[in-house]
Amino acid sequence: MRLILQMRPERDVVAAVIDPHVTTPPAADVAGPIPGLALDAAFTPVPVPQPRPATPGGDPLSLEQPLVFSMAPEDASVLVRGEVQDYDVASRLSALATARPDIVGISSDPVVETMPVCGGAPVGDWHDVEHAVTDELKSEGLDGRNVALAVVDTGINVDHLGQVLGSTAAVDAERSWKPAGVNEAFGRFPVAHGTMCAFDALIVARRVALLDLPVLRAARQGATVMEGLLSDAIAAYAHLRALLEAVPPEQRPGLVVSNSWGSYSPRWDFPPGHPGNYSDNRAHPFNLAVAALENAGADILFAAGNCGRDCPDGRCAYPDRPITGANSHPRVLSVAGVDTRGARVGYSSQGPGRLSQRKPDVATCTHFAGSQAFGPDSPDSGTSAACPVAAGVVAAVRTRLSPQDLSPARMRTLLRRTANDAGVAGFDYDHGYGILNTAAIVEALRRRSKHTARS
Amino acid sequence: MAPGSRTALVTVTLPPGSTLQDAQRRLGLADDEVDAGYGLVSIDPARNLFALMVTEEAGSRIKGLPGTQGPYANPRIHPFGPARPDDECGDGDDDTTG
Repeated sequence: MRLILQMRPERDVVAAVIDPHVTTPPAADVAGPIPGLALDAAFTPVPVPQPRPATPGGDPLSLEQPLVFSMAPEDASVLVRGEVQDYDVASRLSALATARPDIVGISSDPVVETMPVCGGAPVGDWHDVEHAVTDELKSEGLDGRNVALAVVDTGINVDHLGQVLGSTAAVDAERSWKPAGVNEAFGRFPVAHGTMCAFDALIVARRVALLDLPVLRAARQGATVMEGLLSDAIAAYAHLRALLEAVPPEQRPGLVVSNSWGSYSPRWDFPPGHPGNYSDNRAHPFNLAVAALENAGADILFAAGNCGRDCPDGRCAYPDRPITGANSHPRVLSVAGVDTRGARVGYSSQGPGRLSQRKPDVATCTHFAGSQAFGPDSPDSGTSAACPVAAGVVAAVRTRLSPQDLSPARMRTLLRRTANDAGVAGFDYDHGYGILNTAAIVEALRRRSKHTARS
Repeated sequence: MAPGSRTALVTVTLPPGSTLQDAQRRLGLADDEVDAGYGLVSIDPARNLFALMVTEEAGSRIKGLPGTQGPYANPRIHPFGPARPDDECGDGDDDTTG
């Protein structure tokens, strides 16, 4: 545990710390050896003035009155910092407090961080995402051509995409799919969440063939505008698997499946342990369908969710471990969110996952000004935006590497291995293995192609 | 199946290429007990596993038949965005099986 020690050493030592005209003595000279404390030698001792009542006769121990502050050497104290072992902290602090008479105060020294983005204004815009994510891929010609990218969501509006992107956009209607009762034409859905997701994928992989799978379009009485049932997703996955299986395995093209959705509440599920449960049960039909589609050669990505501890979405109802069901499936890439400066957004769900503990896998950009799907001032936000950005990265890599060249499992390994470590060293439950790093991905692909050319 | 019927998601093992009619015959299900709009959906060809939606009553009746599993949860699914950290909970009803 890190600590701040307030000390009152000899008066001449305090005077040397206060005097701006002399070199401040090092912490070791101010504090000397203190048993049980690893003194931080790099921290320059800081003088602290003593508060005193402003009026004669005031309570010398009260801070609830007018005060004056004395920096006189006989009044001031000095702060140093250090660390005690985390084991049995209470006993160690107690021993420290009585170890030396010149220690007059001990307080914790917590890690301070900026408050993460929780909502509100965008941080940067989609051109920042291009700069951070796309440019390296583009310089290698990795733009998603001949790769299909399925947006399983609320439907896509291509006119809106074209307006914001400044060039024509289209969906591949022949390979798209919709649930029974959804009547709009592919690519002609109202501008909403699905359009945002398509836009965010196109930022990275401009030449992909977009497949429109509006699973979250309500077609049932009483449902809200943006919700669906998991059974619709099962049917959508059967369609995608059939697309792949219509082609011999050795000729299968890349198919990337972006899923920026999930279940917010255990109240819509059987409890964990029940054989019909979804959230914690790899044998649920949808979780089996995910495994079967991945096995056929698809790269599947899921948003980690918006139930991060700092500022969870108001709909989050899981008391803990909110990355549930397929969002935590071992055969998908589970995507957390960071802003365009690389700082984790506070709503991004943290692991461990329920089907697979090491979730999320990676993080990438969200909360930027992009598609304007929710209005000109609203950011593309949520892990909903991060997931298609990551899907665009996968689609870009698939431009050159088919599933036969690099299996979906090895694709996930590539993205994890090249990610920029963030947060604590190594894997953590905030960022997974780190923030997607397209420069490192490109470098890995160059090494791979050199190796392949030699062998 | 009547509109608005409460449904159950079940799975059944059938030969490759099976149809909804094959599933109905195998499980003894009448036309008004299955969701024909949903149909018979292949989940995993390696396991010859299919899904279908049936009425809750039919789901209870076929439970335990050989090769049949379920009912499974059919939870509502929602987009993970836009970020709405200030929302109040708005779960709607508690329909577990859809």
